[in-house]
Amino acid sequence: MEYEKVYVFQPESERPAKRRRVEPQGLQTSWRRRRQVFDRVWSGQQQAIDARLDGINASTVNKVWHFLERAVLDEQPGRIPTGIILTGADGATGPGIAKQVAERIRVGKHRRILLSLSSSSGTNLKALLKTLIVKATSRRTGSSDDEELDDEDDELRNPRSTGPKLLNYDLQLLQDHVREHRTEQVIITFEDTEAFDGDLLSEIIELLGCWQDRIPFACLFNIATSIDFLQQRLSKAAVKALAGQVFDVALSSVEVEQVCEAMFDTDTPLWLGSALMSTMLERQHDYVVSVDSFAAAMKYACMSHFYANALSVFLGLEAECHDIAADHVVAVRQLGSFKTYARRLLDDHQVAVLKEHLESDTALRLLVRDKVAKGRQKLSAMVQTLKVIRLVQQRLPHTPVSSMSSLYVQAMSGKLIGSPLIRALLLTIRKAPSNIVVTLLRDLMAFHTEKHTPTIPDCQLLLTRFEDLIESQKHSTKPLRSEDDSQNTTLRTTVVAQKVELSKQKSALSEQDKKYTELLGILTSGIEDIFASNLVNPTDLIFHEIFVYDLKSPYREVFTPRPRHAIERALATPHDYLDCDCCGSGQGDEHVEATLAATQPATAVLYQLYLESGSLINASDLWQAFQAVLGDGGEEAETMTLFQRALAELRYLGMMKSTRKRVDHVAKVMWQGL
Amino acid sequence: MGEQLLLPDELLLMLSEKWTCRDQQLRQLRTLVSHDRINLVQPKLHVQATTPSTVVVYGPCATGKSRVIQAYLESHVTKFAIVNCRECITGRHLFERTVAAVAASLWNDKPEANRNDTYNERCENLAALVVHLQKLLKMHEKFVLVFDGVDKQRESAPTLLPALARLGEYVSGLITIMIVQHPPPRFLHQSGVPYIHFPAYTRAQSVHILSRNPPDIFLELPTDVPDYDAEVHAEDKPWLWPRYCAAIWDSLAQNAARDLVSFRALCIKLWRPFVAPILAGDFGTRDFSRLLVAQRRLFQDETVLLDSIIASPTLAPPTAPSQDKPSKSSSAHELPYYAKYLLLAAYLASFNPAKTDALYFMKSTERKRRKKGGGTARSGGRVSQKRQVPRHLLGAAAFTLDRVLSVLHAILPDDLRGTVDVYTLVATLTSLKLLVRGGGLGAGDALEAGGKWKVGAAVSWEYVQGLARSVDFGLSDYVAE
Repeated sequence: MEYEKVYVFQPESERPAKRRRVEPQGLQTSWRRRRQVFDRVWSGQQQAIDARLDGINASTVNKVWHFLERAVLDEQPGRIPTGIILTGADGATGPGIAKQVAERIRVGKHRRILLSLSSSSGTNLKALLKTLIVKATSRRTGSSDDEELDDEDDELRNPRSTGPKLLNYDLQLLQDHVREHRTEQVIITFEDTEAFDGDLLSEIIELLGCWQDRIPFACLFNIATSIDFLQQRLSKAAVKALAGQVFDVALSSVEVEQVCEAMFDTDTPLWLGSALMSTMLERQHDYVVSVDSFAAAMKYACMSHFYANALSVFLGLEAECHDIAADHVVAVRQLGSFKTYARRLLDDHQVAVLKEHLESDTALRLLVRDKVAKGRQKLSAMVQTLKVIRLVQQRLPHTPVSSMSSLYVQAMSGKLIGSPLIRALLLTIRKAPSNIVVTLLRDLMAFHTEKHTPTIPDCQLLLTRFEDLIESQKHSTKPLRSEDDSQNTTLRTTVVAQKVELSKQKSALSEQDKKYTELLGILTSGIEDIFASNLVNPTDLIFHEIFVYDLKSPYREVFTPRPRHAIERALATPHDYLDCDCCGSGQGDEHVEATLAATQPATAVLYQLYLESGSLINASDLWQAFQAVLGDGGEEAETMTLFQRALAELRYLGMMKSTRKRVDHVAKVMWQGL
Repeated sequence: MGEQLLLPDELLLMLSEKWTCRDQQLRQLRTLVSHDRINLVQPKLHVQATTPSTVVVYGPCATGKSRVIQAYLESHVTKFAIVNCRECITGRHLFERTVAAVAASLWNDKPEANRNDTYNERCENLAALVVHLQKLLKMHEKFVLVFDGVDKQRESAPTLLPALARLGEYVSGLITIMIVQHPPPRFLHQSGVPYIHFPAYTRAQSVHILSRNPPDIFLELPTDVPDYDAEVHAEDKPWLWPRYCAAIWDSLAQNAARDLVSFRALCIKLWRPFVAPILAGDFGTRDFSRLLVAQRRLFQDETVLLDSIIASPTLAPPTAPSQDKPSKSSSAHELPYYAKYLLLAAYLASFNPAKTDALYFMKSTERKRRKKGGGTARSGGRVSQKRQVPRHLLGAAAFTLDRVLSVLHAILPDDLRGTVDVYTLVATLTSLKLLVRGGGLGAGDALEAGGKWKVGAAVSWEYVQGLARSVDFGLSDYVAE
């Protein structure tokens, strides 16, 4: 081998025996299986989410498509047909729409090309045009036949075999391409319109306007702010060159709702807890975060449950449950919810049952299987009940409809059942007139048959009784009023001994109205029963640790890290990270003194000195302070080296910079705690 | 130069009928760039001696420069090429296109077989252009080369224009016509170049040109009036339209849309709303004065003068009833909570002087902050010598990132966890141009320590007030006046 300069490394086919130590042990053995479960579960949910998100903007895509179709047919001379898509600040839906439009182009009957330009495509007109032309001429046009495509590619290899060579930013190239392929529309999408330089954008629009008579252009702009803002930034000639139409896409909050609903609708085995969910929703509301990141957060939550929680293996297919390893069953016995369950059994004097669960693994496996299945049913029934709440809210007048996600968060925290929202809702039903109540009841039944939402027992009977009652008072078209309706009470003021007394007086109610109130009472108590039986507190369910995931910290660590805080903290308290013996003594009272020690890294020492100084720091003072901290032990040259390195590192971290105000000073750029 | 050498007047008459009001310019053109179609018939008569090698055609936009020249050349000259300089991205692009255009026009009338040996060579600079033109035009006695809008050429060298003006000295038989808008004096560094001026159209001329093709009053002829047929309609149109155009000119266009294109656009824009009462049957087609009074609102509304990408909904044809729907929902795309606060903080950092920060943003007691209103004995009553412009009317000042973050912490009603989301927010707002990098050293580098930001042009006082209202934030308490 020595005479060879290069040889191919061929590893042994078998791995060395040492590697086997990595083989999973204990609870880790089920990892492979949990991963399979996760893959199965998430693929279904991903599909559901994708379908929802695609569907949400279907009408917008349709409108854009019709606009483009119309632009092909009747051209306005000198003006480029322009679709302006208002995407909102996160701008994540814009490319989605362009993608769906591109899908349509593939099947559409006109030949078009869709080219997308982003602000990173080029910083000047030449580069932008180059990208545009390269994209256009290398892209296949909207035909489906493969053989034809191959022919076209051959043609493309030497564009303009006749005629002079052209510069690669000459739109003549695009014109020739368009003519050769009989393209009927060249659609240019500007992905992030705001990020473009205003002058550049005007210039390219003016240029496209010049060529509009030879190349059939159409533009699509994704706009995050407003049309006025775009117009402000464009030149007058560019504005004149555009004939626009506005398209609006769904709000990001609506998108988040859709993702949530997709999550609940699929028969998910894992439910996200209220704390995690509310954190995720809050971030979505407070910051510019795209909906994709929300879906990613959900996926991450799912992943961390299945990958880190060994007991999630019980969420697999039921048939597989019986061969789960014994140490998993032992782990189940340690669960908090199992312990409460055992306590309850003891209180009920069912010692034998408990003993069986404690001793027999098989019995416990069966118990887990049953209870997990039951718990999941409970939770899906709860989500169905949330739908009923929304339905009731929709039907009642003057009642705001709560979003599904907020209801879910409340329900998962177990606080919905006694909440003012539910109480107010029930009171409103009690006051509702008959016409509203009847539609509500009908919708409840329809919902029940369609989506299997929970409903009141003898719903049909109740409805017929209501209808009979309404029938019986044919002579008046007014709907029946409830006794609790505030319209039926009048406020009476009486003055007794110079004191005003207010008293409520019920106006006279007809016989029908009284009956109606009675029926309403049945209805409200029925609905109340639905709520009471279905809105359970998930933490009361046994084995909820297995099918409810509610850990905030992994999400926070991964999705919202704090880089600046981390650096500041590491520099301020290096001991926490280094865990060395030399500066470990700093505990309690001595902590303040211990923060400045010669044993600490030089950068940390310098950083603490930096924190103590003002916005302009004299380099010589800093050096002297540094030298004082490090002590006289070392050589001065050595200390100077450390000082200079520390200074350079702080500068590299962006904490200070040289200043022109004073030559021998450095400027402090970053303040702590921001 | 005998009169019979010039082209037949009929041809010129025909042209000046088509390009009305450009009589004088056509005559000038005829004198300067003489015909050679006649020469084909009478080859002995040479007029080259009278043609200057460069002609400058100038005038404001929309005065028919390019079109008149093109029409003239098409009818009078056999060999010519027009290069539209607005389509050329660089100076080199201009040269390449010039060579290509000249070659194309020379090979235009040859049989197809000869086209294989197309002129396929590079043309990097002016010197090469001269050589190429010499080579190409060797066999030709006369060639007219037009540079349209050459003063608007991008990335042009300062010597480009004088050099192009001198092309005729090196290439025999070449006449260069330069179409420019407003030539500065001596911009060609050459004397004796003839200029043809295309002045802006006057009121009478504008109205006259526009009245040549009046648009329809009725899109579909009315069925309820029995004797109103297409013929009457064709008579009514040219009666009403010029009067309407004159009214538009007097009310709006003479001040703000004087050039023909925008005048025409304005007339067409307002035409449908103007004739709407006629369509509705309230007025007859000849009731111009009454119609004018009834529709005077149209002539007072100056917003129509602003161009916009979206056709303004009020003037759109009434066939589309759902016009107001998109504008209503478009406002619903709001910025997220912290983005609003960050913009507010950025605005405050931009428009408050840094030295007053301690006054406005210190978490001190209300009492202390109130004190700023009191002032000292010296400041009371007397008007300041320096004239103070309200701060929000001036441009935004640059601030460092840490300053805006501190302001953000100070104005937020609750604590902010300084996660990466805040920095992402800064980056997002920067890409939306609501914040812009700028000012100070290293403005281009995002990683430069102590880099500065400004609020973008879109973040005006009104916009920020709207933001503050939406998050219920007392903006005026924090703005330094």
